Amino acid sequence: MTADRTWEPALGEAELARLTREMDEAHRATLPLMRASARDLGEELRASVPADPGRRRFLLGAGGVAAALTLAACSGTKSAEDPAPTSPAGSVDAMSGSPSASGGYTGDLRVVALAVALENQAVGAYKAALDAAGAGKLGTVPPAVATFVTTAMNQHADHAKAWNAVLTGAGLPAINDVPLSSHADTMAALGKAASVGDVAELALELEDQAAQTYLFATYGVTGAAGIATAASIAPVEAMHAAILNYVLGRYPVPDDFLPTDKAANPDLLTV
Amino acid sequence: MMADERIDTRLLEELTEQSQDLNSDAMRITRGALSGFAEAAGPSRPWWRGGLLAALVGGAGLLGAARAAADSPSPSASASGAVTADDIRALQTAAALENLAVSVYRTAAGLPFIKDGNTTVAAFIAKTTEQHQAHARAFNAAATAGGGKAQTGPDPTYKAVVDQALPTIKTPADVVKLAVGLEDVAAQTYTRNVGQVSSADLRRLFASVAPVEAQHRAVLLAVQALLAGNAADLVTIPVDPAKLPAAAGSVGFPDAFYKTDNASPITEGAVQ
Repeated sequence: MTADRTWEPALGEAELARLTREMDEAHRATLPLMRASARDLGEELRASVPADPGRRRFLLGAGGVAAALTLAACSGTKSAEDPAPTSPAGSVDAMSGSPSASGGYTGDLRVVALAVALENQAVGAYKAALDAAGAGKLGTVPPAVATFVTTAMNQHADHAKAWNAVLTGAGLPAINDVPLSSHADTMAALGKAASVGDVAELALELEDQAAQTYLFATYGVTGAAGIATAASIAPVEAMHAAILNYVLGRYPVPDDFLPTDKAANPDLLTV
Repeated sequence: MMADERIDTRLLEELTEQSQDLNSDAMRITRGALSGFAEAAGPSRPWWRGGLLAALVGGAGLLGAARAAADSPSPSASASGAVTADDIRALQTAAALENLAVSVYRTAAGLPFIKDGNTTVAAFIAKTTEQHQAHARAFNAAATAGGGKAQTGPDPTYKAVVDQALPTIKTPADVVKLAVGLEDVAAQTYTRNVGQVSSADLRRLFASVAPVEAQHRAVLLAVQALLAGNAADLVTIPVDPAKLPAAAGSVGFPDAFYKTDNASPITEGAVQ
């Protein structure tokens, strides 16, 4: 190991509280890099030229049949399952992610929009959980769970800011709400939560969905900065999920390889 | 120190079995990705024949891949143009990191204070060893499918670190500290590799493993904090969340974005 590639320091009991503060400072130290990455992605998308038809074949071939169905939604291509009006099928603008296509969020940018929506949904869900806890609807909330919710919520907010910077950098409006067709059901389920366990179950679903969506994004988007950004966030969502599994009494690392069966489909987007 | 009478070993076994069931789905998916990768890298399918390979290698990427493959010692990689020499090196380095992790966890499992200590820690080590073995197989399968050699040895850089650290390990906390470092290096390396490899299938492979290593690290960080806080009795599944210290809820995920500044270079564990 080189001098600048050091191991994690051992933790002392008296340092646990300080550790939380340091952790917050550490994760915020990553934000400048993240913002730079977001700028790069925005510039890539702005600079993208209309793709030739071969790019469509590239996208369809890259992900196989299942991914092709999803990317058809990304591209704005109409499908039997998604009759909503979108950009013209096979449009080069749609494939390149150019904001000039009708509907705005197309191509890579549709995946970015989906990411923002998922992050906003997570922030909203954790905020609602804190509100419910404050109102005494969840019973006694363990301190570790409260810390988890607060920290995870802040990290999701950071993720949303980063992805929104990509959208605004590409000339599209930031997404500050949750334009997902599934959101009402999610909030309804959260509203019915009567215990910390109920909330943790729901949070685990959201974290798994986010991590797996970003895994999909690493091979479903084409821009280098977008790939790197998704790759840097997926592990963090997976770490959230691991701690939630532990709190729920389950094995915290259930998969040898992160699957994608719970990844969100861009069809969920309502914008 | 690590003995814990409150461990529900039957439940732990059931949970492990459940996790294995869940994992089978992920394995199937990964095998599918590897199958696609092997198909793409197959020497009998030149890129101009279209299909998946042509889809994966496009535009400037094709030129870069072909140029890099020309330098590859692998005839098949050169023939297909789908796999670059750097792809092979990255896969071999990843396999080397996995091989080292397997070795360390196996050594740890044999230590008296692990073998006869906390059952949950021992079960975690056993399961994590299996997962790293699966990762090594996947990386080596991709390397050989691309025409490279399998890496069966450990990462030399971190083996030196481990060799230096092993004689000093006296407690479970020492084991956890070593494991935290190895998991973090692996996660950082694969996170960076996602942006370095030349095909979507390889991105998918690295991106499907990095979060798992990150999860290992998250668990180990939580365990590390509990051990440091003299709360070894809370290292158990299931745990009573009410008894966990507040910091245990967040110590497992210190960064909003996974760092890559300590990622290993792709050449570090490449077959020489």
